[in-house]
Amino acid sequence: MQEATFLILTALATGSQHGYGIITDVSQISGGRVRLRAGTLYTALDRLRTDELIAVDREEIVDNRLRRYYRLTPKGSETLAAEAARLQANAAAALSRLKPAGGTT
Amino acid sequence: MTDSSGLEQGYRRLLGWYPRAFRREHADEILAVLMSGAPEGQRRPRLAESADLVWSALKMRLRGPGPAGESRPWTDALALFSLVAPLFLLLLDVLVVALPYRLPNVTSFPLVAQALARHPEIGGLSLLNVPLFDITVGCGVIVAVLVLLGLRWIPLAVMAVSVVYWVAVGQSIPWIPYPLQLLTTGVYLLAAAALIASPGPRRGRQLANWRYGVVLLVAAAAVQVSTLMYDAMRPPWLFLAPTTSRVTIYLVGSVGLAAVAVILAVVWKLNRYLLLLLAVTFYPYALQLAFASTGGTTDLLGNPTPAHLTALFLPPVLFACGTVLAAVTPRRSRLLPS
Repeated sequence: MQEATFLILTALATGSQHGYGIITDVSQISGGRVRLRAGTLYTALDRLRTDELIAVDREEIVDNRLRRYYRLTPKGSETLAAEAARLQANAAAALSRLKPAGGTT
Repeated sequence: MTDSSGLEQGYRRLLGWYPRAFRREHADEILAVLMSGAPEGQRRPRLAESADLVWSALKMRLRGPGPAGESRPWTDALALFSLVAPLFLLLLDVLVVALPYRLPNVTSFPLVAQALARHPEIGGLSLLNVPLFDITVGCGVIVAVLVLLGLRWIPLAVMAVSVVYWVAVGQSIPWIPYPLQLLTTGVYLLAAAALIASPGPRRGRQLANWRYGVVLLVAAAAVQVSTLMYDAMRPPWLFLAPTTSRVTIYLVGSVGLAAVAVILAVVWKLNRYLLLLLAVTFYPYALQLAFASTGGTTDLLGNPTPAHLTALFLPPVLFACGTVLAAVTPRRSRLLPS
């Protein structure tokens, strides 16, 4: 799973969000390192909808502009959980191997 | 206000690069996101934003319809073509082997008679003893299996090898009908474009059904019969015997089969753009028949000069390029309303 995809799913893990909300949330989650652009975001959202990992939650009109909110589907939650567990296991393995090397110096 | 509307217009123009179905569903939403992210006083889309939108739109066009996308006939036709074209060529190979054309006996021309004694027929089972033909059919089988599996890029590579092979050595195999050689190259050129510019054979597999198979089989039979006709009328056999009745029978048979294929396709409401793509691949026959009907002696298919080859391959090359361009460029006339 690409990092941008992982971050978008993570942004939606706490509840439904609209496009601009996802962009700001992803920036916050990544500590400002990942700044999604609109084109990239909507390509990813389209693909995630095709894969049924997210779905449209609701639509609102704010200041005469359309806001569409997206939410994780059960399949999306499972996929995100599996990916997070995989990354956590990888990170744990890396850290456990680095620790003895650091400790012997 | 003027600045804001100018920026909005700029964004709308960029969103015009997206497929129509996607624009209808998401344009206003993306525009809202873009306007929310634009700093105060920004007058035009920034370069990075523009590049991101255009690049994303191109990717979306190449990927085909998404969850909200309508079924697009051209995209679907290309996806179907990327699946059925290799199967169609394989059918033709089978028919060439199954339905050989036996050349007339010759006694007055010793050299011709000698050659005919060794290979009395065009096509037929003896083709399987020609390693070059086996390699070609092998490539065809590999491509067909790969597209059936829904793969896109590996069959594209095999097709490229196959086309180069056809062009390089195909002409040196006299027992493979020339029309089939040219048809194979033309179909592969278009199929390559379809693989690049469509969602690919995986999408084609979703759309295909047994009716397409029936129409393809009848169309392949029409091609094979017209190939027999071509071989019955082409030099050097032209001077051997009057084969007018045989040519007429083949012509009627070929046209009849083609008509049946078209009628079935219309009755079953198959994708008409797919039929157009298939029709385009038959242009070498049209060219040859046009020459023959005007009394010309030029044998475009049998003895192609560089000029002939240009005439024969330029249309599918241009069509292939046009297909890819049409898939990735925006339709200016369908820009979003402001």
